[in-house]
Amino acid sequence: MISPKKNRLVHWFFHRYLLWIVGRNFHEVRLAQTSAIANNKAILLLANHFSWWDGFLMYYVNHKLLHKKFHIMILEETIRQVSFFKYMGAFSVNKNSRDMIASLNYAAGLLNDPKNMVLIFPQGKLYSNFVDQVTFQKGLMKIITRAQQNFDLLFAATFVENFKYKKPTANVYLKTITGNLAYKSMDELTAAYQQHYNSTKQLQTEIVL
Amino acid sequence: MLPSRQNDTLSKMFYRFMRWWMRRNFKEINIQPFEPMPGHSILLLTNHFSWWDGFFANYAAFNNLKRRLFIMMQHDHFVNHWYFKYLGAFSMKKESREMLESLSYSANLLNNPENLVAIFPQGELCSNHITHIHIEKGIERLIKQIKGPCQIVYQCTLIDYFESLKPRAYMHHFDCGVAGEVPFEELKQRVNDFHQQALKNQVNIEH
Repeated sequence: MISPKKNRLVHWFFHRYLLWIVGRNFHEVRLAQTSAIANNKAILLLANHFSWWDGFLMYYVNHKLLHKKFHIMILEETIRQVSFFKYMGAFSVNKNSRDMIASLNYAAGLLNDPKNMVLIFPQGKLYSNFVDQVTFQKGLMKIITRAQQNFDLLFAATFVENFKYKKPTANVYLKTITGNLAYKSMDELTAAYQQHYNSTKQLQTEIVL
Repeated sequence: MLPSRQNDTLSKMFYRFMRWWMRRNFKEINIQPFEPMPGHSILLLTNHFSWWDGFFANYAAFNNLKRRLFIMMQHDHFVNHWYFKYLGAFSMKKESREMLESLSYSANLLNNPENLVAIFPQGELCSNHITHIHIEKGIERLIKQIKGPCQIVYQCTLIDYFESLKPRAYMHHFDCGVAGEVPFEELKQRVNDFHQQALKNQVNIEH
């Protein structure tokens, strides 16, 4: 497993860079919260994965809204390709290997510190932004049971839209779930995320200009 | 109603410029395989979700459908962007008597099998994620007035990203039949079925 590295200069540079490219490539990043986000616990952020931007957009969400220490679970091959990710809080996961357990444990460990947030794309790979059914991979439940009640769950559903602008607008819909042990199984958790995804997609389609 | 003063040379130059500009702004403009009927003009119904839509229609008309593009534009936009009239745009004033004029003007253009008229049947900007395409009644009136052979094509453009930072535009084309042979209710149904089909194809698209 590749764990995050510390380098204040590299972090400072890419922090500026990420915020700059998000601002340059999007007309707006619109954040919509359905409930207030409590600040006394670590946050496990689950987001849909449809582009390279997802990680950067969530970095932006964290910067604007959550103000936590950013961590993200990324495929090992990607982290090897883009070497600066590990300085921005990325740690690797290798599907179908023993190493995966170490990554899941590491993520659970991070959630014990209320200063942290961990971003996971539970879909495990890139899908279209137009999917109706969100499928989660199994490992996520291990993190949730191992980390017990020390964190809040946060769902994010992102939809990209142009409307009358040349540049796209990213619409990020956020929903906090408190009392996360309510989800005893993967199916319940997936169903809860699916419900958030469906209702926000509905909201998104109702916009008419 | 203000008619088009389409000019082939200017249109071609504009297409070349737009192709360069779009390829700069998009990672890929992917037109799914589609063959238009030979000897037919094309009424292109397309979803309206962005600033780019007219240019997408232009791109498809030149690149894939091989017809001369005409496009219906809202009157105020037409006045603001007067130069589009040389590139095939003509105006349309909603809810006025002039609207009927624009409709018969479009029908007239469609009598020539070399032409293509692009129309946004929704009449307003909607989300790219919608599942239902509303079609304004004017389309029925327009189709009734077409005399020459004309194929109705639905174009669904969807924006996706996948492994790139720049967006990718995917264009799905569907044949909705020949004008005069499809009742309006049936046409509405077909467009919506095809829209669902496009969304399904998009989810399963290779990337």
